[in-house]
Amino acid sequence: MRHIVRKEFTDVLRDGRFRWCAILVGALLLVSLGHGWAQARSAQQEHAAAQATARDHWESQGEKNPHSAAHYGIYAFKPRLALSFVDEGVDPYTGTSVWLEAHRQNDFLLRPAQDATAAQRIGALTAAQVLQHLVPLLIILLTFGALAGERERGTLRQLLATGIGRRELAVGKALGIAGALALLLVPAALVGAAALVVGSPGPAASPLARGVVLAGVYLAYFTAFLALSLAVSAWARSARTALVILLGVWVVNGLVAPRVAVDLSKWLHPTPSALEFARNVEREMASGVEDISRPDRAALTERLLAEHGVERVEDLPVNEVGVYLQESEEFGNRIFDRNYGALWDTFERQGVVHEALAVVAPLLAVRTLSMGLAGTDVEQHRHFATAAEAYRRDLMRRMNGDLAENSRTGDTYLAGPELWEETPPLEYAAPTLGWVLGNRILSILVLGTWLVGAVLAAAARVRRAEVG
Amino acid sequence: MVASETAYPTREIEHMNTPESRHPAELGNGRTALLEARGLSKNYGATRALDSLDLAIAPGEVYCLLGPNGAGKTTTINLFLGFVAPTSGQALIAGLDVSTHDRETKQRIAYIPEQVMLYRNLSGLENLEYFAALGGKGALTPARLTDILVEAGLERSAVDQRVSEYSKGMRQKVGIAIAIAKEADALLLDEPTSGLDPQASNEFSELIERLKDRGVAVLMATHDLFRAKETGTRVGIMRYGRLVTELGTEEIGHADLERIYLKHMHD
Repeated sequence: MRHIVRKEFTDVLRDGRFRWCAILVGALLLVSLGHGWAQARSAQQEHAAAQATARDHWESQGEKNPHSAAHYGIYAFKPRLALSFVDEGVDPYTGTSVWLEAHRQNDFLLRPAQDATAAQRIGALTAAQVLQHLVPLLIILLTFGALAGERERGTLRQLLATGIGRRELAVGKALGIAGALALLLVPAALVGAAALVVGSPGPAASPLARGVVLAGVYLAYFTAFLALSLAVSAWARSARTALVILLGVWVVNGLVAPRVAVDLSKWLHPTPSALEFARNVEREMASGVEDISRPDRAALTERLLAEHGVERVEDLPVNEVGVYLQESEEFGNRIFDRNYGALWDTFERQGVVHEALAVVAPLLAVRTLSMGLAGTDVEQHRHFATAAEAYRRDLMRRMNGDLAENSRTGDTYLAGPELWEETPPLEYAAPTLGWVLGNRILSILVLGTWLVGAVLAAAARVRRAEVG
Repeated sequence: MVASETAYPTREIEHMNTPESRHPAELGNGRTALLEARGLSKNYGATRALDSLDLAIAPGEVYCLLGPNGAGKTTTINLFLGFVAPTSGQALIAGLDVSTHDRETKQRIAYIPEQVMLYRNLSGLENLEYFAALGGKGALTPARLTDILVEAGLERSAVDQRVSEYSKGMRQKVGIAIAIAKEADALLLDEPTSGLDPQASNEFSELIERLKDRGVAVLMATHDLFRAKETGTRVGIMRYGRLVTELGTEEIGHADLERIYLKHMHD
């Protein structure tokens, strides 16, 4: 076996085509890693600076009515996790900051970039793009002739006449090719690991554990591609046929399936346009919906008067305006929950379609897992958006509560810097690795099935490979 | 039935579907067969490519299979190599059935095809090192492998050249070197001199002669009547998948062999 591995490794390294392809892919990988890391680091620093400035602005408001402060609002910035330099995921399409203000849940998701075409996605050079598209292509170019080429050249007869088995030969070839690929991928993995360890951007969120799992995901993907390529090479009558078939698989996997997944998921689970969504929220905010009614100011006044046993609002121990503003917030929150909840659920269903379609294109499973582990998928965007919205609601409750409890109806009330300083900043804890993997069971299963299926197919085809 | 009017000791082959009709025990002189076919048949769909072949080749014997294209020569070689499964009968190497002892039987044989195909990016020495290692001779030193290549007729200066620069004759010599390095008990040759110039063919025959003297059993499929007479100890003539006659080469001349061959081809 080791002789086959060594010979295959030597043969691949001496092949000028491999050298050029490997140099090109390696350079793209290193450049994309370096660029991604620098960009992530720069973005993180900008976010930190902007967050500090926003906080400073919040605390430096001076004296003002708490409700005015609620309208003044504050920005929240989604932290970039350590591995986001490998895969920027949906961040470019969803945005990473949100303005938290009274009466409104401002959106991340409803942006024109959500409708970005597949071509635009491919246009962005990231390490994930190189790993998901170019490395499989390199594997195909190295493997298509592994058995078909030997058969065509006539060397397969001589090899098998020596007494080695077909399986031994195929495994040896696979390991030899894997060894050559390792020359390209191991340095890139080390660079990635170094980037994680030395000055990694973003909060912890188990970056090393995520990195190890991410490496495992790509290893499984490459192994599946290698096994699939071997199976086709063992089955095809000629190396050319094997190459054409495998290039077809590559095109379907990398170019066709992602586009089809986007279109099919939107067709099965349509989402409103940003404009439609905003208009719908606006309409419901104006008039309410069947089971969510706008608060009735007069009824609130009567209720408060009855509760406190007074006849005039001026005699109430609370500022009726503050109570009403909070009730309006609660009403708005229910409208937001209703609309955003439905929208997020639709995105989730679209995500399931993507994951399910991975049965025809393993790239879809790998992409989902890669974004998840990098912390740049829709689910982790939702996780942050939910935390930011909870913070906004707490902020509004504090402002309205201060107004209600520390002033009387009709007063001109101004709160001081103490209130702004007492308001805690947004402390966001990114999801754990277990949470991420728990959300991605389907992708893990499909990728595992691809891996096992490809290896079994290779074993079956190799066993029956014709000598020629 | 065949060549009956000649005075030469040909053996007419009766096809009675009795695999036991020709057994190693019949070799005489206490010799046992290294290569043996017992009622060996192969069908490709409706086509009978090989029909009840009985054959036994002893150590030090060179058996040449003659016949036109499609006569069943290469099918016979493929059956001994285990590359195709027999429809019926057995191919035995050192008494072991090829179908059930793939690895063990292949360890006893070496194979040289019509065109020895090697890895163009590797040198002759590296090719030999690789094939020898796969054949279980991974311990041979580069110096010893170089000697084997030279023994096989390759110029010492050529052993480190990449095979992409080799002629067909040089590649055939590497093929011979692979067989020598393996120290195989039996050699299967499929049209090994096809396309070689006369000098290269002679050198090839000399090498076969040396291997024969070392006790190697050789089965050679060939179109070359002259080479079969010169190199072989026995010749079998095949047609339509059948071994139609068999004769010893010492008792006949070149012209007789040609006449017998042509007669069978025209029957």
